[in-house]
Formats: sequence, C-alpha cells, structure tokens
Amino acid sequence: MTDALTVADVRKVYGDREAVRGISFSVREGEIFGLIGPNGAGKSTTLRMISTLLRISSGTITVCGYDVATESDSVRSVISYLPEDAGAYKDLTGRQYLRFMAGFFADGEELEAMVDRAIGFADLGDRIDSKVDTYSKGMMRRLLIARAMMPSPKLAILDEVTSGLDVVNAYEIREIIRDIARHGVTVLLSSHNMSEVELLCERVAMIDGGRIVQMGTPEELKRRFDAPNLEEVFIRAVREAEGLV
Amino acid sequence: MNHLLNITKKELRELLTPSSVASVLVVVVLFAALGSMMSGQTESAMAPQKLLVVNNDSDDWAVSQIESVYGATYPDADLSEYITVVDGPLAGQDLVDRMVEVGAGSAIVIGEGFYSNVTSHRTGEMYATYIYSSGGLFGNLSSAIAGSIISSLNLALMTDQGWTEPAIDTGASATYINGDFASGVTPTEIDSAVSSQNMMVPLIIMIVIVMIGSIVISSMGNEKENKTLETLLTMPVKRTTIVTGKLLAAGITGLVFGAAYMVGMMMYTNGIMSGTVSGVNLADIGLTIDAFDWVLILIQMFLAILAALGICMIMGAFAKNYKSAQTLTLPISVLAMIPMFVIMFMGWNGLPLVLQAVLFIIPFTHPMMVMTNLMFGDMTLVYAGIAYLAVFTVAVILATVRLYKSDILITGISQNPYVVRMKAAFSGKKNAE
Ligand SMILES: Nc1ncnc2c1ncn2[C@@H]1O[C@H](COP(=O)(O)OP(=O)(O)O)[C@@H](O)[C@H]1O
Ligand SMILES: [Mg+2]
Repeated sequence: MTDALTVADVRKVYGDREAVRGISFSVREGEIFGLIGPNGAGKSTTLRMISTLLRISSGTITVCGYDVATESDSVRSVISYLPEDAGAYKDLTGRQYLRFMAGFFADGEELEAMVDRAIGFADLGDRIDSKVDTYSKGMMRRLLIARAMMPSPKLAILDEVTSGLDVVNAYEIREIIRDIARHGVTVLLSSHNMSEVELLCERVAMIDGGRIVQMGTPEELKRRFDAPNLEEVFIRAVREAEGLV
Repeated sequence: MNHLLNITKKELRELLTPSSVASVLVVVVLFAALGSMMSGQTESAMAPQKLLVVNNDSDDWAVSQIESVYGATYPDADLSEYITVVDGPLAGQDLVDRMVEVGAGSAIVIGEGFYSNVTSHRTGEMYATYIYSSGGLFGNLSSAIAGSIISSLNLALMTDQGWTEPAIDTGASATYINGDFASGVTPTEIDSAVSSQNMMVPLIIMIVIVMIGSIVISSMGNEKENKTLETLLTMPVKRTTIVTGKLLAAGITGLVFGAAYMVGMMMYTNGIMSGTVSGVNLADIGLTIDAFDWVLILIQMFLAILAALGICMIMGAFAKNYKSAQTLTLPISVLAMIPMFVIMFMGWNGLPLVLQAVLFIIPFTHPMMVMTNLMFGDMTLVYAGIAYLAVFTVAVILATVRLYKSDILITGISQNPYVVRMKAAFSGKKNAE
C-alpha cells in the first residue's frame, strides 16, 4: 500500500447546495500534499469527510486501506485532524490539555512519554503550565499542532494551519510540519495561501467551486502554465476551466 | 443620534430573534393559563361545600343554628342541597362512609344533650370530622367550613351567656387520613405541614434541572465555538463513550447539587421545626418517608436528571456557540417550571385529566410529586412514574447517541433534509404569492 489516502469521485451536498462536486486525488505515504483554493472552495468540507466528521454524499475515501464510511473507527485510529480556527478547553493548562488528549492513545509511562514529546514540539517554555485561554494565537496553534502530532498518526489532516499567524509563527509551524513528514507522517493540509503551499508541499491540488482544477507538483504546474508562481497558475487554471464549461 | 439608532437596531435584531421572542411568549401564555387555573381553584374552594350533620341530640336546636350560620356564610346557597342531616349515633368508619356517600368533605357531630347542656351552663359537645384530600395549597380550603361553623357557634354562645370558658367541647374533632383518624388536626393544618416539606422538592428539582441543563448546553456551545468537539469526535473512541462520559459527569454534578439542596432542606425543616410544622407532627399521623422510599426518590431524581441531560445534549447540538447556547436553555427551564407550579399550588389529585396527562408526560413532574405520593401511599403513581421515566430516559439517550453519530453536530440543523424541505416549502409559498 503506497497510498496513504485515496479520494474517489467524492461529493458533498449540504441541504440543496453541492459544496464538493466529484473530487478525486490520492496522497502517497510520507508526502506533504496541499489542497489550495479560495475561501468557500470546499477544502474544509473535503478534510472533514476524510476525518470521518461529515457523511460522504457519494464516492469513496480510503485512509491507509480503511474505508472512511464503513470503517470509521479504524480510520480514526490512524489519523490526526486539526480543525480550522480550533481552540482548546479553556479551563485547562497546555500540559493538562495534552495529557487529556494523550489519554485517548496511551496510559502510564507511555502517556507521560507522549506528553513530554508533545511539550517539546509545542516549545512553549514554562507557559505550558498556563491556562490555554491566556495563549496568543501562535501559542495556541503550536499547542494544537503538537497535540495532533503527539500520537504519531499515519495521516495528519491540517486545515488552514498557518492562517492568521505572523510570519515567524507561520515559519515555525511549517518547520514543524516538515519535521513531522521527515518522521514518516503523511500530511494533508489546506490553505488559501498559494505561496506558502508552494514552499511546503510536494504536490498540490487546486480546487475551486468544489472541483479540482489542476493537480501536480508546484514545478510541474508552473511549467504547465508558464507562470512565475502558483497564484498565477491558479488564476489561469480557473480561467481555463471556465472556458471549457 | 443616527449612530445610536443604528447600533440599537443592530443589537435589537440580535437579541429579539424569533426564537427568543417565541420562548418568552410561551412563558407568558403559560403563566396566564396557570393564573386562570389557580383562580378557578380558589373560587371552587370558596364555593359552598356539602356538609353532613349528625345529630345525637334529641333537640333540633343545634341543627337549626348550624343551618343559620351556614346560610349566613353562603347567602345564595340552597341549604337543602348542601346540608344533609342524619340522626346519630354515627361515628368512625360508618361516618366516613356516609360522608363519602353524600359527597361531604366535612361533618359536624352534635353531642348528646347538646341543647340542654348549653342552656344550663354546661359545655356541650360538638365536633368536626374531616376527610383529608391531598392536593396542593388550596386543596383543603373547602373543608374548613365545619370548623368555622362550630367556632362561630361557640362564640355566639359565649357572648350570649356571658361565659369566659368555651361553651363547646370540640375535643373529638379529627381528620380521616390514609385510613386512620388523626385527632385534633384539621386538613388545613396537615396541608401546611405537608407542603412546607414538600413545596421544597419541586423547587429543588426545578433549580437542579435548570442549572445542570444550562451547564450542559453551555459546555456544548463552548465545544462548538472552540472546535474541541470536532477534535474529540475524531479521537479513536466510540461515540457512545463520549456521550456517556458527558452524561455521567453532568449527572453526578446534578446529584451532588440536588443532594446538597436536600440536606439543606432537611436541616431547615428538622432544625427550625423539629419535624413539627404548625403543630402537626407528620410522623404521628402516619405520613413518613422510610429508607425504601428514599431509594425510590433517588431513583426518580437520577432518572429525571439523566432525561434532562439527554434533552440538553440534543438541544446543545444545535448551539452554534456559547451565546446561542444560552437561549436554548429556556425550553428546558419552562419544561421544569410547568410541573413545579402546578404541583406546588394545586397538587396532582383533583387536576383535570388532560392536565394530569400533560404533567405525566413531562418527566420532571414525577420526582416533584414523589414525596407526597409516597407519604399518602399512592404507589401506583410512584411506580408508573419510575417506569415512564426509565423508558423516556433510555429513549432520550438513544436519540442523543444517534445524533452524535450523525453529522448534524458538525453541519448544524439547517442542513437537515427535513428542515431544508420545510424551508423550500416556505419560500415556495412566498414566491407563489
Ligand atoms: N455547515 C454548512 N452548511 C451549509 N453550507 C456549508 C456548510 N459548511 C460549508 N458550507 C458551504 O460549502 C462550501 C464550501 O465550504 P468550505 O468547505 O468550508 O470551504 P473552504 O474550507 O474551502 O473555505 C461553501 O460554499 C460553504 O458556504
Ligand atoms: Mg475552510
């Protein structure tokens, strides 16, 4: 099994609005894969379906060989999902939050080791023992990404993980993600920031209006459209797609 | 000024949402209905009531005195319809049977030689017998007529004859309750003793339900706002475990609060009144709660709390954030307040059947009246309550688990196919006109 994730012709209908209109792609093991597209393109919806949170209207998703619709318990044991704009339980300190979440994966010494490793990832110094509602956005994001990486998942699903962060924090989060991938974790992330994705991802899928308009490595895409950056690629790809319709 | 108007308008639009206005309207209608029902209850308590007079005296003088006091109290009443006079002797169970037969809640028994005694400077015997009916604050007002007739007769005799001692010996007055006679006690006294103990129970249960309800709903709102729920739902744990964990924690909190209030209430009644309220010791007249009764009470309370929590978790699923969660606590509060007011002021017995049915369906009614029912031995109602609560609670918990397995929690209710269809039908009509 070389694909950590396959998404085949997946659709999601909210009431009478189709948010995802037949998306297919696959992510190889150990790869950093980016879903990029503007707000409302359907990125979060796709990630939530992969994370077993949303029912798939049609199509199939397989994570490490497990079907998301029928084997959601097994899927949940190999993924780590970090929602967009997520927070933590206000009454807990960073350490207590990590310990609570680690409790779902381990106990005893193993749990302590897991928490210690996550505290290292988060790198919050002695603020790890402050209540999380005193954290800045950057600190919170580091805590959460440490939480997501803590159980050594096979597939990490990160929704807009750097959005709203300053350049330094965003840079550090990207470093953490690269580090994770180096340790063999497959990463699927979404972003509306094309230049960031260009820096980070080995392959990207551009989605717009619930459809994939282009897919490939950043280099391939730039070559294909003879564009200096992914932003230009996206604009041209969307125009091309609209021209075809 | 324009800015003020602008801001005020925007704030009002946020605060006066259709759902908040609707819930306030529900409360208003509820209170209005309750008020009219209660005034009906007091009116019927003030209406003339049937009275049985047992005459053991060879003379009819006392009977005519009773009739004239009755007639003065209720000038419009047709005496022959309301007063039944029988010759004695008639006492004990036979007397009660006869009272039930003629539909009288109270009886006056005139002692032998009453007339000749009071006219020759001796006390005459005349006493009241009541049948106790449990039923809220106003339940037994009507039976007070016998007592007040006797005391006004006594007063008249004393003034007439210039006595300083009572002219009438009422020592044999008693109330028939739970198949026994409690001597020297009136139903009104029993009522006030029972209700000062049992009024607290509905109140405590209402408070506990509202409190834990708002805790659960707000915590759900918080989880939504911080997306911690989304994270939690992707953990490798069964949804049932998540639901059970939340229910258990809130249930224990509810029981701790409830128990604390209960202890407070018992210290209040025991400490200040040492079990004797308004001169009546409930234990003396057989109105007691034993250990087994307490077990039944706790079972009912725990089931009702679980049911409330289940309802709240379902409501909480529809909360978008902490703020919207707050308005969602209103339905559960109303649901807890309806039975509280009705049970407090009217009691269960004597309610119209429709109201009894409505109350029975509301799960919180049962623990609110369980203490009274246990005291008066209404075991059918107690066990039926437990059975209903059990079924209700299981159903609510199953519904909660189902909800947690669906994706309504994430997408919100507006994506529910049923709601979408309703919306479509609604806007379809608008377009058509
Ligand atoms: N719970 C929901 N109910 C209805 N529509 C939704 C819901 N969530 C997302 N959508 C719609 O689905 C589309 C895709 O949204 P989303 O997946 O959040 O986009 P992205 O993450 O790419 O910004 C948008 O048009 C959005 O309005
Ligand atoms: Mg999104």
